[in-house]
Amino acid sequence: MVHQVFPSPRLLSAIQRYGLALLSVSVALGAAIFLESLEFRDVEVPLFLFAVAVAAWYGGSGAAGLALILSCMSFDYFFVKPIHTLYVTASDLPYFAVFAAFASLVTWFSTVRRRVEQELRQARDKLQIEVLERSQQASLLNLTHDTIFVRDMNDVITYWNRGAQELYGWTPEETLGKRANELLRTIFPAPIDEIRGELLRSGRWDGELEKTKADGTRVAVASRWSLRRDEHGRPAAILETNNDITERKRREEEIQLLNQQLARQSAELAGTNKELEAFAYSVSHDLRAPLRHMAGYTELLHKRLSSALDEKGHRYMAMILESAKRMGNLIDDLLAFSRIGRAETQKSVVSLEHLVKEALAEVREESDGRDIVWKIGTLPNFYGDRSMLRLALVNLLSNAVKFTRTRPRAEIEVGCTGETRDEVVLFVKDNGVGFDMKYVNKLFGVFQRLHQSDTFEGTGIGLATVQRIVHRHGGRVWAESIIDGGATFYIAAPKPNDI
Amino acid sequence: MVEDDPKDVELSLVALEEYNLANEVIVARDGEEALDYLYCRGAFQNRSADNPAVMLLDLKLPKVDGLEVLKQIKSDEKLRMIPVVVLTSSKEEKDMVASYKLGVNAYVVKPVDFHEFVNAIRELGAFWAVINEPPPGSIKKGV
Repeated sequence: MVHQVFPSPRLLSAIQRYGLALLSVSVALGAAIFLESLEFRDVEVPLFLFAVAVAAWYGGSGAAGLALILSCMSFDYFFVKPIHTLYVTASDLPYFAVFAAFASLVTWFSTVRRRVEQELRQARDKLQIEVLERSQQASLLNLTHDTIFVRDMNDVITYWNRGAQELYGWTPEETLGKRANELLRTIFPAPIDEIRGELLRSGRWDGELEKTKADGTRVAVASRWSLRRDEHGRPAAILETNNDITERKRREEEIQLLNQQLARQSAELAGTNKELEAFAYSVSHDLRAPLRHMAGYTELLHKRLSSALDEKGHRYMAMILESAKRMGNLIDDLLAFSRIGRAETQKSVVSLEHLVKEALAEVREESDGRDIVWKIGTLPNFYGDRSMLRLALVNLLSNAVKFTRTRPRAEIEVGCTGETRDEVVLFVKDNGVGFDMKYVNKLFGVFQRLHQSDTFEGTGIGLATVQRIVHRHGGRVWAESIIDGGATFYIAAPKPNDI
Repeated sequence: MVEDDPKDVELSLVALEEYNLANEVIVARDGEEALDYLYCRGAFQNRSADNPAVMLLDLKLPKVDGLEVLKQIKSDEKLRMIPVVVLTSSKEEKDMVASYKLGVNAYVVKPVDFHEFVNAIRELGAFWAVINEPPPGSIKKGV
């Protein structure tokens, strides 16, 4: 590449080079003969020397040799007596020798000079290319968003890219020649000797450092160091890249804080749950006892006063007893409901078909003497807590039985609909009294009832229990109805992949 | 009968009267008293050393609770044969499981309805004091 850009005389072909020698000697000879005819004396020797010098300069040492021989011969032939012969007298030999020595000297000087010049030119070319490459690299480093700087083994900054300027706020002019870790007030995570030791051993180091910007704010950086060695393998410089992780650090700290809060909250929650359990226990125990006593003593009173009581008196007694019983049922249902929230779910693959059969057997006891047509479709398997699912089904079925009571012939259908890839949808449909869709959002609330208790008894916990069970399985529950046109309850629960 | 609530005691005794069993009932008002009775100490140090034919045990008791009493009885060589019936307001499954694990002989939840309650107590009394043959070393019913 170098030789193409600056063609050197050495590349001229041999013919050109020797032709040049011939030409220069011919020109010198012509000029000497011409000058002699004009009566100038002794110009031939300097002219021939000049021809040799030209041949040496442009044609190299070979051409110079040829020019020397030709010059000697021309000089002998045209200017040394006897003229026009190549005969050399012994007394002329020293003269030729001096001429040849002088011409050789000129040749040598010119060759050396040319070689030096060539070498210089090459060195300059190389240097120029290197400078170009270096400046290209430097401008590439400047393009990156990363913070990069180079410092020598005395920690003096020798390169500072734009990313570094952007992060720390100093321009390259302000930083070059300064000590990096003094300027940046670096705080190391370990003694600096240890870090240097590792760098010298492995050629690399990385870690988190704290530095200070030009405006005095602290910044946390992820820092990577690479050691550059010179051609003798001696450590020469350290290339350091920094990434600002202040924000990440802050977030990490925030996350840690949040995690701590979460842990505290879940501990609190566990405490609250425990309290709730204790509460439910005492509800179970302590509320039932006075109820039992009320009922018991009313009964005893009834027995004692039986003959003295009129019809109203009997009715009042009956109301007290009925209320006590109802409250007992409420407490039981409420407890069952709270237990669903507290109990651990033990999930397994459950056959809905079996489960519906079991629930049906339980519900049939309360539907003795009724005309009920049961339609049970094919049902898939389900993944969930068996006893909870059973309770949900019992609640739904007994609801259907209850609200079809006014029908001479009740029809209750259990089936599976709209099964998708990730969901099982079960429905229970009846032809009962239904409900107004206006109140559908109240349907699943605790103690919410859409019917007067003298028409349809109940505590208003059944559907709330169903909803809680379904939610604990990650599913949804909803209902559709027309007043006096029956109701359909749906349960959708996610399918596990393996069923 | 180990029962801290006097109303429960009274109602239970009413139920047992129908089989003339009320007179045979010794009432302890808390767990400590129950253990005193069984070990013939404190107020009971002069009683005959026989074991009761059956023990009706409430779970929620002052001082020493029912499960603790049950544990003591079932781990004592001399007392472990006494039939123990847990009679409680609590329907808690946890309590039921704990009681059976400790070796209770029956677990009865007191019904809220008085008729059911009377029936339950009466049948318990009839079964354990009349039908069942108590283990040797028990107080015989003095009919």
